[in-house]
Amino acid sequence: MLLKKFFNVGFEEIDVVERTPFGLEDLSRYPLFAPDFLDFLRRVVPSERHRELVYSITIVAQKPRPATTF
Amino acid sequence: MSYFTEQDARSIIRNAYGEVQSDDTKVAASIYGAEEIAGLPRSAVTLSLGVGHPVRHAGLKPGEMVLDLGCGAGIDTLLAALAVGPKGKAVGLDMTPEMVKRARENAVLMGLENAQIREGLMEENPLPDASVDVVISNGVLNLSTRQSRVLAEAFRVMRPGGRVSITDLVLAEALPEAVLKSPAALAG
Repeated sequence: MLLKKFFNVGFEEIDVVERTPFGLEDLSRYPLFAPDFLDFLRRVVPSERHRELVYSITIVAQKPRPATTF
Repeated sequence: MSYFTEQDARSIIRNAYGEVQSDDTKVAASIYGAEEIAGLPRSAVTLSLGVGHPVRHAGLKPGEMVLDLGCGAGIDTLLAALAVGPKGKAVGLDMTPEMVKRARENAVLMGLENAQIREGLMEENPLPDASVDVVISNGVLNLSTRQSRVLAEAFRVMRPGGRVSITDLVLAEALPEAVLKSPAALAG
């Protein structure tokens, strides 16, 4: 879905160069997440997903150069 | 789909990022190399809130112009400024005044005259057309309710042949609706 957004605005050579699972333990390192929110996540998200709640991905892409005419 | 209006989302995010405090380096240590961190001001490191290392994949070259969308306290902007050198430039853009202030202080602490921090929205990018070689961003695109607009603005400000290296969080599977409706989840 996100890659399609890159494509739709005109980027080319779109590639995912890194993809890392992000779980509850990873989120707990961030000061943005209070302990009560992390407890809430533990309660409402199935335990089998606690290690892979989301993925961190890095997308690279390029803005096309104008076509060269001869 | 977002459960928040654009204005509500901005307000939640500005409050969360404006108030955030941290005195440890756990996040930065999990992402950046020790030698990278060693050269940075402490507040750039302790307030590193990214989720990856877009600079590592940006292939920055001396003399290039870089734009960091949602620069926060400036860690990636500073690393980019170092990578492009004095003939290049790194501009950090952020909508949270407290983060802009911190990033500016960090650029001054490092004596980086080629790092400029601007307050503004990534959906209404203040940079002129075709003025940037590389756009980077770290854990910020998911905070916008208008991601396509952010990408279109990035595309507009890039020169032909310019590159993006954007790190972000994506869902592998849908999370429970209660999580998606949570302001705390939005801010992260």
